[in-house]
Amino acid sequence: MKAIEKFEINGEYALTVENMNLWYGSFQALKGICMNFPKNNLTAMIGPSGCGKSTLIKSLNRMNDLVEGCRITGTIKVGDTDIYDKKCDLPRLRKNVGMVFQRPNPLAMSVYENIAYGPKTFGIKNRSMLDEIVERSLKGAAMWEEVKDRLNKSALGLSGGQQQRLCIARALSVEPQVLLMDEPTSALDPISTGKIEELCLELKKSMTVIMVTHNMQQAFRIADKTAYFLLGEMIEMADTSVIFSHPRDKRTDDYINGRFG
Amino acid sequence: MRNVALTKENVAKAVFIAFAAFSILAVFAIVFFLLYQSIPAFRQIGFFNFLFGTTWAPKNESLPVAERFGIFPMIVGSVALTITSVALGGVLAIFTAVFVVYYCPKKLKPVFHQLINLLAGIPSIVYGYFGLTFLMPLMVKIFHIPQAYGLLSATLILSLMLVPTVASITKNSLESVPMNYYEGALALGCSKNQTVFKVCLPAAKNGILAAIILGVGRAVGETMAVQFLVGSGDNYPALFLPFRTMTSSIVLEMGYADDALHKPALVAIGFILLLFILVINLCLAAVKRNDSISGNKLFNRKVKESRGAISKFSWHKTGSAQDILCILSYCIAALVAVMLLFVVGFVLIKGVGGLTWNFLFGKSGNAQVTLAPAFVSTGMVILLALLIALPFGIGAAIFLSEYAKKGSRFVKIINLFIDTLSGVPSVVFGLFGMVFFGNILGIGTNLLNGSLTLSLIVLPTVIRSTEQSLTEVPDSMREASYALGASKVRTIFVVVLPQALSGIITSVILSIGRIVSESAALIYTAGAVAYMPQGYFSRGATLSVMMWFFNSADGIADAQAKCFATAAILILCVLILNILVTVIEKTFRKRSNR
Repeated sequence: MKAIEKFEINGEYALTVENMNLWYGSFQALKGICMNFPKNNLTAMIGPSGCGKSTLIKSLNRMNDLVEGCRITGTIKVGDTDIYDKKCDLPRLRKNVGMVFQRPNPLAMSVYENIAYGPKTFGIKNRSMLDEIVERSLKGAAMWEEVKDRLNKSALGLSGGQQQRLCIARALSVEPQVLLMDEPTSALDPISTGKIEELCLELKKSMTVIMVTHNMQQAFRIADKTAYFLLGEMIEMADTSVIFSHPRDKRTDDYINGRFG
Repeated sequence: MRNVALTKENVAKAVFIAFAAFSILAVFAIVFFLLYQSIPAFRQIGFFNFLFGTTWAPKNESLPVAERFGIFPMIVGSVALTITSVALGGVLAIFTAVFVVYYCPKKLKPVFHQLINLLAGIPSIVYGYFGLTFLMPLMVKIFHIPQAYGLLSATLILSLMLVPTVASITKNSLESVPMNYYEGALALGCSKNQTVFKVCLPAAKNGILAAIILGVGRAVGETMAVQFLVGSGDNYPALFLPFRTMTSSIVLEMGYADDALHKPALVAIGFILLLFILVINLCLAAVKRNDSISGNKLFNRKVKESRGAISKFSWHKTGSAQDILCILSYCIAALVAVMLLFVVGFVLIKGVGGLTWNFLFGKSGNAQVTLAPAFVSTGMVILLALLIALPFGIGAAIFLSEYAKKGSRFVKIINLFIDTLSGVPSVVFGLFGMVFFGNILGIGTNLLNGSLTLSLIVLPTVIRSTEQSLTEVPDSMREASYALGASKVRTIFVVVLPQALSGIITSVILSIGRIVSESAALIYTAGAVAYMPQGYFSRGATLSVMMWFFNSADGIADAQAKCFATAAILILCVLILNILVTVIEKTFRKRSNR
């Protein structure tokens, strides 16, 4: 079996989006998006509901392929590889660009099997290797101590916050280069949210993290860069401190200062 | 490597599509082969002579009259019996459903739910036998008549049999009436009874109509109960006059029909019956298509009506008619429960005495007939029918829930055909099995043929039950799997299918119930014999068929006691299977909540 290769990321940016448009049927959800996601940074995408930020993040590992009637033009590259190219291997893309969803979605299996599912998908069957991956991933998601004694219990019995960190651990199990997080804390209480935010700051040391959030304070707290979306357009993207203090665009200013949305 | 993986995905998809399309093939095969075998009859008798001829007289050695095959009285018989029993059964069922949904005390609700399920599972031959041994003697006494075969007995029993089916569908559609209709009407000052009968019931009318049409389909196709109760006479239906229906003629005469013209004529009756069923199914599909909640329309009409009379207000209390309906629904629900419990109790009490060790497990042969072969035969057909139906059914369900584009034309057609297949009466399946598996494929009359026929019968159940639990698996789990780079096939088999296990097990149990209670489809495919089957190529009678055998074969000692004992066993089986379904649903619900 051929090994799944990582993407080569040589330049400054892990992910680049060039002039991308997206339609759901006849509705254009994204218009002319151009943006670059710097390597080992945490980039936050903010904006009112329906502005297209979730749509964009789902395009980055082609989860939008599952949506009927979804059509995309323009290019999205991981490193130098065009992910919408016909030759691009979908399993390879999704292994290297992992995703955490808005609502925790553990599989109806044990904690252990949840983490081992990804590696098993890519042909790792050796028990001791799997044990090692499970431990490393759970440690990576800062929950090894909490669950090490209940690895064989159903993951559905964990609390919401634990479930979400389990999902992060599961995404880590296949060693992604980019981690996409679609409002990962919107279904969680403030304490769990805090834990996940800490975790994100830890994660960005070893990978590129891209996060959609409704919570502007969250973006302000943890993001290196922040991008503001409105009605399917990317209005502006800059260092987080700049966006929140001196936004260039009036629309961003309105949103951030609560005059809108 | 990538190419291979891609092919694997595509092969899997093609296989699932094939499984889903199998229902279409099955329906076409049934129509085609019944027609094919009927052609000699239509050709020799003439299609219109056959359909509108008024005399049915197969060749008879003792009577030197020419053969005549006209089925018009049978059609009238079937139609008349259907109308009367659906009218009576429909009223009973709708009031029962209203009671269960709106008036039933909370504690009693699960009891009624279980009762309805139990009664839907009781084999029709048991209902028929109850009518034969209890109802008809009673009628003879009450009305001082020489015999009680006829429309009245058949209607009473058949309407009782329709109650569980019609009531459970009506109950579902009443339960799906939005709560805010109910609250809205109450907030206007309507009494509870007015709300129920003037707002909720009309809002559910499409679902109720679908339930009634389904009842019509069942009534037209009902065989084993009807053949006990209508007798057999060349009469148009009347209250106390033996007559025939299409189904009763097929099952009563197939055993001794000669191959020349009589048998093709009987198959032709089956074909005509099938045409009836297909039309009924199309009606059902049409009703289901505009299955919207029609309450708004009603409300609009009411508003328009009141505008005309807006100047002359006169406030007064109304709703006494609905109060009467409410009382009526209490009474009918109680009546239905009592009657159905009485059927069960009567059969059990009459039957338990006959359950001796020797009768159950003793050696069966010419000297004495026991149930031992029937247990073995029943087990064998259950095993093989499920082995065939499960992969096909699960495959079709996977296609419908995981691959199909919702609302695409192909899916609509597949769904239509699955529904059609589930509406085909078992006697028609029996004819198809006899004609296609038996004659054309040359399998003959044996347990293999019976199992193949049964696998077609239970296929829709397996598909629907599995599909239901597949669609209940949250999409977020599929997303989780795809986001890790897993393929569709892996997602389906590792993530989705294990979650649908409860649905699959439920479908297995429901199928077993259906197989155990089946008799019309088996008598002429698997045979009705009293000896132990030697394998799938020998004849064998299941438990239900044994009831028919005891009642119709000559020279069986204590035939009635044996019939009751077998019926008691059947009821116990249905009871156990129902308990199993409930237990499984409960365990899995608990598990997924944990």
